[in-house]
Amino acid sequence: MFLLWLRIAAILYGLASVSAFAAVFGDRPRWQRLCIPLAVSAWLVHVVSVVEMLVLAHRWMPVGMHEVQSILALLIATVFLVIALRYRTLSFGIFALPLAFLLVVVPALGPDRHTFHSPVIRSGWLLLHISALLAAYAALIFSLLASLLYLTQERRLKDKRSPGFLDWLPPLDTMDQIAQKTLVFGFYAMTVGLFAGSIIAQESVGPSYFADPKIWLSFVMWGLYVVMLFVRRSTGLRGRRAVYLSSAVFVVMLCVWAANLFSSVHRFSAP
Amino acid sequence: MKILLTGLNHKTAPVELRERLAIAPEALAAETRALLTHPGIREGLILSTCNRVEVLVCYEDREPELASYLNQRFTVDAQSLQPHLYHHRESEAVRHLFRVAASLDSMVVGEPQILGQVKESYTAARSVGAVGGNLERLLQGAFAAAKKVRTETQIGSSSVSIASVAVDLARKIFGSLEGKRVLLVGAGKMSELAARHLMQQGAGSLLISNRTQERAVHLAQNFNAHVVRFDDLYARADEADILITSTGSTEFIFRTPHAQQFLHRRRNRPMFIIDIAVPRDVDPEINRLDGIFLYDIDDLQSVAASNLSDRAREAQRAEAILEQELARYHRRVETLDVVPALVDLQTAAEDMRQAELRRAHSRLQSLTPAQQDAVDAITRSLMNKFLHHPLRTLKAAAHDGDFAAIEAIRAAFGLNGSRRIPIAQEENSESGASGSSEVKGRHPGPSEIATKDEASAAEGNSPPRELAAASDNND
Repeated sequence: MFLLWLRIAAILYGLASVSAFAAVFGDRPRWQRLCIPLAVSAWLVHVVSVVEMLVLAHRWMPVGMHEVQSILALLIATVFLVIALRYRTLSFGIFALPLAFLLVVVPALGPDRHTFHSPVIRSGWLLLHISALLAAYAALIFSLLASLLYLTQERRLKDKRSPGFLDWLPPLDTMDQIAQKTLVFGFYAMTVGLFAGSIIAQESVGPSYFADPKIWLSFVMWGLYVVMLFVRRSTGLRGRRAVYLSSAVFVVMLCVWAANLFSSVHRFSAP
Repeated sequence: MKILLTGLNHKTAPVELRERLAIAPEALAAETRALLTHPGIREGLILSTCNRVEVLVCYEDREPELASYLNQRFTVDAQSLQPHLYHHRESEAVRHLFRVAASLDSMVVGEPQILGQVKESYTAARSVGAVGGNLERLLQGAFAAAKKVRTETQIGSSSVSIASVAVDLARKIFGSLEGKRVLLVGAGKMSELAARHLMQQGAGSLLISNRTQERAVHLAQNFNAHVVRFDDLYARADEADILITSTGSTEFIFRTPHAQQFLHRRRNRPMFIIDIAVPRDVDPEINRLDGIFLYDIDDLQSVAASNLSDRAREAQRAEAILEQELARYHRRVETLDVVPALVDLQTAAEDMRQAELRRAHSRLQSLTPAQQDAVDAITRSLMNKFLHHPLRTLKAAAHDGDFAAIEAIRAAFGLNGSRRIPIAQEENSESGASGSSEVKGRHPGPSEIATKDEASAAEGNSPPRELAAASDNND
């Protein structure tokens, strides 16, 4: 049944994406009124699907790419809705909603062939580790997006271009606030996630765990995060340089995500 | 009912004349009530804005003298008023009202206030009972058209004045202007206007700095602003989020090192600098700094011009939408015009059917109630089938504005001027007045017809058998 809910959520995310594009680029009030209800409906159906999926599996932790993708999509949709309702801007919808749709499409096609039976997956620390890191990823995606949009809007205003294709961009101050707040939230989430992961690693594998590429890349990402926050806070860094820093952390985040393939110890399969 | 619109606007009359005719919003209802007392006027509305004064009326027979009404009401000399007035009648009046409500006739095409002003006039007119069915239909059509133009085009989405362009740009940088501080350097007219506009849009506070301190103090009193001594300008300019400068200086007042200091003290928070002075007060190189957004008068004018051309393009789309809405309005009015004819045709046919059933009553007496019901259903079905095509043609002719076809159908069925066709009248006179009133009210079934005919026979009217014979002869 959760697959049916997920498919409905995928369709609703698709429709919400279409309405977001029409609302942002067409500046049509009708579509603007439709976008948020569609996104909220998709989000609700998605929540039902995720809860049902985890209840059926008798665990609260997502395992496997399908489940992780589905929950990451849910988190992205959540952040989008929070931003849309707090800052009254649908502009992020043209990125966030299609991304949520794409992340949900594959899990919605069918159940994951890979199953995990490790007893570790019922550990509370692991649940905290994964949920906090997924939230950090979602926040970082939005932080980078806001920084890129800030840069585009800044260029546009400096070049004194008349309103046109990019007239939909939100104000600079709004994007700066979004970038800053998602960055701070992401930092807290990542710190909690890495702390929980370290405890699990100490208990199950020991010090050798830290030689794994996935793990040390994660700590590099955390270090960059600290630097970026410090620089932004101390100098009020904005614009191009802020985007460079956000991009650097984002690239490392993608590396961390990809490092799963090369990691020898960061596996859920039973030994 | 006919429509007449008389008035003057910014295109036909100078402001000196327009202001003499202007009516305050609170006096609109009383003026509209006074308008209704003018001979011949059935419904009326007065639209009074800073750019136009228009009187819209519906009348029946003789066209009212609205020009003389305006002369008397506002004690304006007829000779000085007459050349500036325009008069629109019927469809031209409708078109004019639609264009006004959609802001296509405004001085700044697409400005949003006019629709609200038309609605205010409508509310005032309604409050004194000056809006009947005709004006109601007309105004609702105009409001719907204006709304459609607003939602389907971007006619009002861009700013076309220097001051509003500055406000738009400030919003693009800061989002809301709430709590933002504006610094006015120099006291030119245009910079004052821009500052006033920014304050009206919610800017938090205003600082004023001028070489002549007295002028700054005087201006500060008008704006309820604070004065910054010109000597302290560089020390305090970073307090402002928006800096508007328009001094008469022949050299740059603000250069890159100044702006770098400002940014440093502001911790890189953005700063919007509007340089309205000619020659310019701000070194254009400043714009290269991250966080500084510099616009001079040419930049603002070029954005305004670009927006204006966008509006002109959108206005063309709006005109096309308006044509559709006008056609829709006229179709609705025309369709409403044939509604009485449609009702008359159906009533007359039903009368005829009832009369024929009464004629055949004696021959149908031997039938069972079920068979009588079947006869009733068959005759009704035949009548409906027969009427189907004429009714459809009548509706289509009204829709297409084919008045010749409408008149032909009216003539063919004897619907001109009378609600009842001759045959029905003949039958009613034969069957008595009581029968006539019943047929008008509702259509009785066969059993009721029998009862009614028996009653009329008892009263000495023509017996059913004779009616049947007459029917045979007619056939």
